[in-house]
Amino acid sequence: MTGADMVLEALEREGVEIIFGYPGGANLPLYQRLPAHPKLRHILVRHEQGAAHMADGYARATGRPGIVFATSGPGALNLVTGLCTAFMDSVPMIAITGQVPTAVVGRDAFQESDVIGCTQSVTKHSYLVTKVADIPRVISEAFHIAATGRPGPVLIDICRDVQQAEGGDFEYSYCSVLPGYKPALEPDLVQVERAAEMLAGARRPVILAGHGVILSHAEQELLEVAERSGTPVGTTLLGVGAFPVQHPLALHMTGFMGTGWNIKAVQNADLLMMVGMRVDDRVTAKLSEWAPKAESFVHIDIDASEMGKNVRPHLEVVADAKRALTAMAPYVKPPPADRGEWLTQIDAWREEHPLKYSRSNGHLQPQDVLIDMYRRCQDEAIVVADVGQNQIWAALWWNYTKPGLFLNSGGSGTMGFAFPAALGAKFGRPDKDVWCVAGEGGFVMTAQELSVAVEHQVPVKIVLLNNFSLGMVRQFQDDFYGGVRSEVDLTVMPDFVKLAEAYGLKARRVDRYEEIKPAFDEAQATPGPFLIDFRIDPEANVYPIVPLGKGLDDFWELPNGA
Amino acid sequence: MHSQLRVLRVLVEDNPGVMARVSGMIRRRGFNIETITVGPSTEPGRSRMTLTVDAGHAEVDQVAKQLDRLIEVIEVEDITDAPTVSRELLIAKLDKVPPTVEQYGARQLATGIVELTADSETVEEFIEFLKPFGIKELARTGPVAMRRSA
Ligand SMILES: Cc1ncc(C[n+]2csc(CCOP(=O)(O)OP(=O)(O)O)c2C)c(N)n1
Repeated sequence: MTGADMVLEALEREGVEIIFGYPGGANLPLYQRLPAHPKLRHILVRHEQGAAHMADGYARATGRPGIVFATSGPGALNLVTGLCTAFMDSVPMIAITGQVPTAVVGRDAFQESDVIGCTQSVTKHSYLVTKVADIPRVISEAFHIAATGRPGPVLIDICRDVQQAEGGDFEYSYCSVLPGYKPALEPDLVQVERAAEMLAGARRPVILAGHGVILSHAEQELLEVAERSGTPVGTTLLGVGAFPVQHPLALHMTGFMGTGWNIKAVQNADLLMMVGMRVDDRVTAKLSEWAPKAESFVHIDIDASEMGKNVRPHLEVVADAKRALTAMAPYVKPPPADRGEWLTQIDAWREEHPLKYSRSNGHLQPQDVLIDMYRRCQDEAIVVADVGQNQIWAALWWNYTKPGLFLNSGGSGTMGFAFPAALGAKFGRPDKDVWCVAGEGGFVMTAQELSVAVEHQVPVKIVLLNNFSLGMVRQFQDDFYGGVRSEVDLTVMPDFVKLAEAYGLKARRVDRYEEIKPAFDEAQATPGPFLIDFRIDPEANVYPIVPLGKGLDDFWELPNGA
Repeated sequence: MHSQLRVLRVLVEDNPGVMARVSGMIRRRGFNIETITVGPSTEPGRSRMTLTVDAGHAEVDQVAKQLDRLIEVIEVEDITDAPTVSRELLIAKLDKVPPTVEQYGARQLATGIVELTADSETVEEFIEFLKPFGIKELARTGPVAMRRSA
């Protein structure tokens, strides 16, 4: 069997059903053999970055690694942003890139680049394959590494001659152990018992839940621990969906652009239990002013290196979130008699600092669009948001009562992520409605993938929140950089309805509140993809927001009655 | 030598590129690494690295944990506070080899070239001692270390 067949055979053995890719000189042997493996569906993207984000969206929506093919040099380098996006958010992905033949590696051959070197800091691991016999082992290891522990992208760079070489009989064994890779899954029982005790001993506890809760499907266990202990729960941006926001204990999103009542709760908590999160600067704002009244931090995360990286915990539980919360549950005690005071205080903050927006200037407001969209999601649809104001609005107006799937690029903040990721999510979960929320700036960064949506009639509904500017940057300039609007104007953009039509999908423009409903009705009634160009208030901003460099206590919000 | 220096012993898979991974991690995370030595271990296919890190406990803990995240890193051990022996090798080319080098346990390797194997402090002292004799060239390995038998 040739190396190329071995690769494809191994992917089949691993249960791969779909590959997002792009051919070129250095992976032609793979593409030559691809038609002989009809179980592997291949989606020809229009740019390799699109492939990476599609694989990422597929992985986030299904929990299975997303698979990407690209050629050497420019092809592989076009994956870098997508790999980084997946890496920062712990998304399992396997990128298989073609490399120049072994004989010319290191000689600046045509389309040679040091892909391993270029991607080392944005992959969980990587392999350069120079011997055909290594292929089955490398692929099985890559799947094991990508999908277990704290998931992440793995890159496999295979020289072209190796793909063509005859490798003899194919033997495949699934990898389950590696000497230098032992993810800590099970919690230490003494520590979880201690964590439950600390929770019971706290007067003003807060749980913060991150992406780790969603990755380990620990939503139910989280709900149980929270309800049994009477502890309010906030989430990070990537944790949105980990806890039902309509729940009386919900604090909704935390951090730099979190809700006012969440910020108040975090800043007044005497105990913070962080579950499946990194406690990064978007969560803490100015670190030295974060959670100033907290007497103890409990940190639960699968990655030992997160312990003390940003905040030194008093108690660390290095384990899978689901297993840790499951183990903790029996020790969790009902709340002390005075818990009502803390919850009443939080309710008061919720009243004092509600999410709000103003319609006073007559423009279409993004929140009105999203509220209607979420009403249609009915706790079920997958919503993929891009980066910028649209992302934060989509997160803040999230309204699911059930744990749900809200996907976005949190750690890397990659504009252009949402649309290809939404396509990937829909390829992976055809049973789910998939909505893509994006600003016009981010959307045009990967809009070429409209062809993929049309070619495969992927019924993703695109909600373009078009504010004619790089909204988030414009807001930062207005709010924090002296009001100097510098290079953020996007008034010269394509007519998005015509653009969509040029690609072959249906589209509609909405300028007024009354048109929201009929537009969404049409989008939902239309089979296949649909784009709505919502021309929103060009001055609409995201609030609350914490001025750059300040602590959470300094958050700004719209005045009441605005 | 710096009093804060901490010593990590690292066992790694002897794959091409493993040094690049380790040094890339160190650079990227902004850690202050003073020395790295690497050589084969007793286990086939594995290498032994010794790192000295100029940092406090918390940072060294991060260095160790970040290294441990690398798939090809099998084991990381902070042996600073453990009873250890530590040695490094120095060779120096001098204008004139003083007759008293043997006091340091050094020896002459070739005309004008001396060698010393000692702990890092002694190596430092020896270099000071050599300076008046005109050091033309100097190479030192950085320390390798291991725990003493219990
Ligand atoms: C690839 C990339 N480039 C630049 C940025 C910096 N950035 C963050 S938000 C933003 C503006 C996004 O504008 P738009 O897509 O129109 O969304 P809006 O904020 O208006 O909703 C920019 C430029 C980024 N996050 N990603």
